[in-house]
Amino acid sequence: MLGMAAIVEVDRLSKSFGRVRALHEISFTVAEGEVFGFLGPNGAGKTTTIRILLGLLNSDAGTARIGGFDCWTGHAKAARLFGATLEQPALYGFLSGRDNLRLFARLLGPVDEAQITELLGLVGMTERGDDKVKRYSMGMRQRLALAQGMLGKPRLLILDEPTNGLDPNGIHGLRILLRKLATDQGLTIFFSSHLLSEVEELCDRVVVLHRGEVKVAGPLSEVVNVKGFNYRIDVSDVDKAIEIVRSIEGATVERGTIKDSITVSSKTDLARIINQALVATGIGVDQLVRTEKGLEDVYIELTGVAPGSPLSAPPPPPPAPPVAVKR
Amino acid sequence: MFIRLVRNELEKTWRSRWIVFAVMAGIFVLIAGGLYTFYVISQHRWSPPPAVAWQTTLRDEIVANQSSITQLQQIKQQQGGGAGGQFGRGFSIDDVIARDRQAIVDDQYLLDNNIAPLQSYSITLAALFGLGGIVMFLLLRVFGWLASEQIAGERSDRTIAILLSRPMSRDQLLLAKAVASFLISLAVVVVTFLIVYAMLAFIEGSFGPLTGQIAIAVDGSKPVGSGNLVVMSIPLFVLMCLGAAMLGVLCVQGMSLLISVVTGRWAAIGITLAVLFGAALVSAIVSGIITVISGDPNSAHFLNYLFVNVLVPVSAIAPVFGNSPAAAGTGMNEFGSQLVTLGVWTVAFFAAAWLFFHRKQEAG
Repeated sequence: MLGMAAIVEVDRLSKSFGRVRALHEISFTVAEGEVFGFLGPNGAGKTTTIRILLGLLNSDAGTARIGGFDCWTGHAKAARLFGATLEQPALYGFLSGRDNLRLFARLLGPVDEAQITELLGLVGMTERGDDKVKRYSMGMRQRLALAQGMLGKPRLLILDEPTNGLDPNGIHGLRILLRKLATDQGLTIFFSSHLLSEVEELCDRVVVLHRGEVKVAGPLSEVVNVKGFNYRIDVSDVDKAIEIVRSIEGATVERGTIKDSITVSSKTDLARIINQALVATGIGVDQLVRTEKGLEDVYIELTGVAPGSPLSAPPPPPPAPPVAVKR
Repeated sequence: MFIRLVRNELEKTWRSRWIVFAVMAGIFVLIAGGLYTFYVISQHRWSPPPAVAWQTTLRDEIVANQSSITQLQQIKQQQGGGAGGQFGRGFSIDDVIARDRQAIVDDQYLLDNNIAPLQSYSITLAALFGLGGIVMFLLLRVFGWLASEQIAGERSDRTIAILLSRPMSRDQLLLAKAVASFLISLAVVVVTFLIVYAMLAFIEGSFGPLTGQIAIAVDGSKPVGSGNLVVMSIPLFVLMCLGAAMLGVLCVQGMSLLISVVTGRWAAIGITLAVLFGAALVSAIVSGIITVISGDPNSAHFLNYLFVNVLVPVSAIAPVFGNSPAAAGTGMNEFGSQLVTLGVWTVAFFAAAWLFFHRKQEAG
């Protein structure tokens, strides 16, 4: 991604609402063409950041730019570059899906009916496109909102919790669509989520936000650099298994959440040793599943930590590559 | 771009609120039907009555007033002459005789100078009743309600954020909403006027001339005379009334827009209607109290600086008859000063709405 122009640049952005400090000097950049995950628990400041990017809020300090244009003072120009969806799909219930798209398309220029039909097809809403939105399910609204975000062929999609309210099918479909948009059309996608599996599947880079501060930022592979393994083992005798595994060096074990299972974590891969130890003592091993420590573990470590506990400083954000800006 | 914005706003209002207009149309139909039924029953005829020329009406009035004077003089004599009896508080027979005499002089002046009074033709009457009075009073409350939902409704529906994120300036959006509201209300007012015109044309028996001239009093409490009359062509008069009515509409829409910018849907509707109904009511009560205490009908006139009391300036135009001290505070003078008051309030409302909306941050 080095050498790609940055399309979103956030530099030491701060925002407070009265005495509540929503954002404190957050900085990150999004390079053109990448899929960027914006993570954090509820109340971390994700929505506030997105609203600043959208030109709905003005920051107290610092800058936010899209395509080189300031998000508040240069909003009219910045807004031509992106499409967005918000947590709650913003649609007019008394109009049909197609009419909603026409309405929003009209804000960008003369209405292109062909594009609207194409977008409805892209999000799978062709059949229900002429029904009133108030009759849509949540998933349908999310899909239509996404179509709305793609009107006018933006270079950047800003999505606030796009999987909100979607069932697994919907999430799967969205994931495929977003990946397709990123690879086929070179669209930059910036989305906030607290569904880590989606972020892991899709994102090139991530930022983890907590209490208004950037905890970690960078390529996904670097963020998830904690070496470690988790195992879920289905056993015939849980208590005995726990005793046995506890004695293995480097293994931390506890009762599993699923019946008749234990969970083990370790820094190195101990699968074979654990398996042999259990079988040797006559414990039946029905299943042994191994996963590498992932984003979830990093996330929990970064955001579930009690205030004041020691935490290594986050790596500095990657330096912004020179930006070619059309003013 | 701006035209497209206005088009969007028109579509949104129409598609979400067409029921309001359907109900209003239904009410009109009912009222027209009711009035027609009443007419048929009382006049025993289905078709319009024959039209009566205004000169004939004035002559009939003169005759009626003369016979009234004669009767009153007889009553006065029966009561033993002198200062004359009382017809209740503030009225004396002499007062009524004087008023009737003045009415005869006024009507004669009009006949002699061939000046048609304002109430001579159905279209001018339609301008008075359809662009003033209770009709505009009610229409204004409806327009206020609709305008108050402009921004507040989008906020409550959570569409305001997406709308503001789009590449148009906030100023453009606010202006587009104001223009769309105005256009819709203009259409409703014009249609209402035409309906009232049709109804009055039926009652008067003729659609009447659309060209020609009519006279309006400058000061309703003074006698008719060359210094107290404005003579105006009929089309100009109708346009003037339409303009005044739309200024009142604009004022209400400005106030509603201001409220809409700062609150959510139900608060905006509630506050707007509370002001439009409540302030008018409270003001009327206060005015009544002041008048009774001071005994001077003009002492509460200062309340006309409050916008709620001047929203229907057409109601201030006095027809040219029935001039008496009780008609003080009517006439072209009053009409003009109400327009000025209205104009100032309108500008203030829109300026405040713009100021707030321009800088309002939508935190969601």
